[in-house]
Amino acid sequence: MFRPNMRVYVSLLIVFSCPTLVPHLVCANSATKADEPLVASKPTLPVVRRISSLIDEQIRKGTKDYAKLASPVCSDAEFVRRVYLDLTGRIPTVTQTRAFLDDSHPDKRATLVDQLLESPEYARHISQRLDVMLMERLRKKYINVTLWEEYLRDAVAENKHLDQLVREILAADGSGKGQQAEARFYLARDGDVNELTRDISRIFLGADLTCAQCHDHPEVADWKQDHYYGISAFLVRSFVFTDKKKKQTVFAEKAEGEVKFESVFEVRDKTSKGPETTLPVVFNGPKVDEPAFKKGEEYKVKPAKDVRPIPKYSRRAQLGDALTSSQNRRFARTMANRLWAMVMGRGIVHPLDADHSDNPPSHPELLELLTDEFTASGYDLKWYLRELVLSKTYQRSSSNELFASKSDQELSDAQFAHAILKPLTPEQFSRSVLEATGQAEVYRQSLKDKLSEAALRKNLVGYERQFVSLFGGLPGEPVEGFETTADQILYLSNNGSIQGILSPRSGNTADRVLKIPADQPEQIAEELYLSVLSRRPDATETQEVAELLAGKTGTARNDMVIDLVWALMMSSEFRFNH
Amino acid sequence: MRCNYACGSHDSLSRRSFLGGTAAGALSMLGFQGMTQATAAKQLAAQQKQVVVFWLSGGVSQLETWDPKPGTETGGPFLSIPTSAPGVHISELLPYTAQQMHHLALVRGINTKENNHAKGAYIMQTGRKEQPGFAFPYLGSTFSHHLAPPNSPLPGYISVGAGGSSAESTFLGPRHAPLVLSGGRAPNNLGRHDALSEERDLLRRKLRSQVSQRFEQKRKTAHTEVYNESFDQAAALMSRSDIFDFSKFSDKDLERYGKHDFGRHCLMARQLIEKGVTFVKVGHTNYDTHSENFNFHIEQLGEFDRPFATFISDLYDRGLLEHTLIICMCEFGRTPRINSRIGRDHWGSAWSIALGGAGIKGGAVSGKTNETGTKVIDREVNGGHLFHTYYQAVGLDSTEEFYPNGQPIAKADPKTEPIKEILA
Repeated sequence: MFRPNMRVYVSLLIVFSCPTLVPHLVCANSATKADEPLVASKPTLPVVRRISSLIDEQIRKGTKDYAKLASPVCSDAEFVRRVYLDLTGRIPTVTQTRAFLDDSHPDKRATLVDQLLESPEYARHISQRLDVMLMERLRKKYINVTLWEEYLRDAVAENKHLDQLVREILAADGSGKGQQAEARFYLARDGDVNELTRDISRIFLGADLTCAQCHDHPEVADWKQDHYYGISAFLVRSFVFTDKKKKQTVFAEKAEGEVKFESVFEVRDKTSKGPETTLPVVFNGPKVDEPAFKKGEEYKVKPAKDVRPIPKYSRRAQLGDALTSSQNRRFARTMANRLWAMVMGRGIVHPLDADHSDNPPSHPELLELLTDEFTASGYDLKWYLRELVLSKTYQRSSSNELFASKSDQELSDAQFAHAILKPLTPEQFSRSVLEATGQAEVYRQSLKDKLSEAALRKNLVGYERQFVSLFGGLPGEPVEGFETTADQILYLSNNGSIQGILSPRSGNTADRVLKIPADQPEQIAEELYLSVLSRRPDATETQEVAELLAGKTGTARNDMVIDLVWALMMSSEFRFNH
Repeated sequence: MRCNYACGSHDSLSRRSFLGGTAAGALSMLGFQGMTQATAAKQLAAQQKQVVVFWLSGGVSQLETWDPKPGTETGGPFLSIPTSAPGVHISELLPYTAQQMHHLALVRGINTKENNHAKGAYIMQTGRKEQPGFAFPYLGSTFSHHLAPPNSPLPGYISVGAGGSSAESTFLGPRHAPLVLSGGRAPNNLGRHDALSEERDLLRRKLRSQVSQRFEQKRKTAHTEVYNESFDQAAALMSRSDIFDFSKFSDKDLERYGKHDFGRHCLMARQLIEKGVTFVKVGHTNYDTHSENFNFHIEQLGEFDRPFATFISDLYDRGLLEHTLIICMCEFGRTPRINSRIGRDHWGSAWSIALGGAGIKGGAVSGKTNETGTKVIDREVNGGHLFHTYYQAVGLDSTEEFYPNGQPIAKADPKTEPIKEILA
């Protein structure tokens, strides 16, 4: 029903409805600008096409009885927490939450989204998500990690097209002055052809070809040994080279070298007498032909001892183009799906690296639509994320009255009929703990005029590292899904640094709560809940807080407030983005 | 280990029914503090079966350990030596172990047909081939589930110097996930913070649990349940932090076990078994000897042999061996063919493991490989046979089923059966 030409119609509609949006944007901004130095004041996103409603349409079509099964659209409180976490990597401050909840403008959700997309924290957060996706928390090897992180952050800040970003990364050999950071993708993996083949196929093509190294994939009919070696062939001539004079390590390349493979199970082709080979090729795309050179004329710089060879023709240089070419739909599809999963909590193809015909997408037409539109947008990350979070699908509540009565099948996450609980990433968790305790606010106040995202981050990064080391999984095997260990809980329960930031100090949460007179338990409960859980408490919760604090003074009251902050912060409600 | 295909997020309900009830909550966990630990430990020692796995990661060579072929083209340079079990010879690289052979049985006919580290490790630790759509729990989690007393404040599965992931327990839940003592140290942050009294700690955890429960009423997921249970597990650990006090080993013991990480890890394992932990995994690594196989094995087995043998002998002396099953295994063996780098490569087609203690007939040997060790010629077994054997050795019926997701899943591969000839 929604063929690509629908796009034209939809775009027109949006262009016409656009002027009504503009005044709200301006006035909402001026209202929050003064106390929001971290959020840019004037969103200038061009509203090109809207596909949020098409997303909802496809999701609705995907499930019989969708209207009955679907959760209602989430409350403002759910929304403000969720969208801050997804777009900036932390819960909103108490001030931001209050301002949003008290804002009565009907378009405030879209306005907020636009503000967040322009904030420096968006660039930081999304670049961190991309970093984990691309590097899987691999440690430093040859390339300065900070340099790489800044490269990604700048790319997201300027909204570099995602295909362009990937081409830059795959083209980099680390030799040029300006492109050392980009070479981290290859060099952190020590240039290992098998590791790179596996990771490139998994990350960019949604295909875990590991098993196809030794034979056609035994369980996935679509994945052949040729696919594996087609990717390997781009890389087989490359190797890590350390220039002793320059004291620099780069990803160098030779002019010769072919992949050789045969199945460990059986002879693949009865006529073949030995291992086979293939030209570089991305999946079922065209093979990348290469120029022939006379023997002895293959090099610009010939290989010699301690000399980095430079071939006239580089196979590796073709990889980025072949991967992101319009002839390779898998790339756009995988990226559209990965970003969808990042925001929605689950892929349309799931698991993300199992995109094959035995594991069909939950909503095939939707995935086609997203792939088309993401490509048509020029791989515009900001536009795409904006469309996702403005959809009703994203804005459904995670709470569903039916959970008690329906079977798992009927309310499966794959239907996207409710918001899926997403465990906070280590970075989100750490930033949110610092926000909930008010520690971030303490730093903001101490930075005064010098406050910027980068300056604030300097103060917070130490905490983040502790969280990442405990919650982030092993390098190369980062946590997917949700893992929780006793070690993590012991840290959150007993570690001095957590206990330390809970104690009242000027401007933090405990301090603000303790300053509210004891005879105003409603205000106390509200300040607590808004600060930690980004919502106002209900009557039961208010009463609970009142009872716990009743009659307590001095140290006892102090301790009770600290313990309340901790208890709320350790709850499932806080641990998940819901 | 990455989360497998089967990590559906709404498997909590069925898991709940499988476990026979929801997590009891932090408070009930703490109730066990009242029980005297000495009494508890004695009871455990008397009744409970325990399991220790020695995991030689990388894949130890069967030819340099349990199935030597001296004097053949594949045999390598080492001799075989007689052992305390009549008629059983093993490699001369294991002289101390040879003296404990009457406690150990060998399975020499393993063919797992798997030469990939991760997949081999999966087979050996779950008894199955990896399959999309279902994630089997690892044996540490399985035995923690079956053997640990339901109300024990002790963690059921502790991994010492052997890594581990909370994903190993799959549908059995985090209560049976490994507690990893990384670097062989007690867990960090085990002691309550100075600023907190026990009473405050208890109260704030109770509050935490209340807030979570309110939130979860209309949001049914396995994740929140897992998260809540991990708080219980942490509380349990804090209440039994004594099991992690490894400071009191005598100089004599340190000397006997050897002053290296593996020796110390074996001592730690001994203490954990003495204190009643159900399943302990001890790791020793660096057996992936694609080059210089023989030098590596001299070094690695030189370190392994004595503490391993001392551990068995100590458990026997303490009367613990009777109810403790010991398994020494890895992901696969090594190729009989010696490669151009004097190495041996991955070989899942004909290799061996050793096991002993509870339920095992000491000195027994099952299976046989041909003269050059390239093929199993008698009593071929795979991961399934081994799992039936482990289960039966500790007195469990291996033909029963699990019920995750409401569907019956056999505990061990129903196409296989236990290796009866090594069962006591």
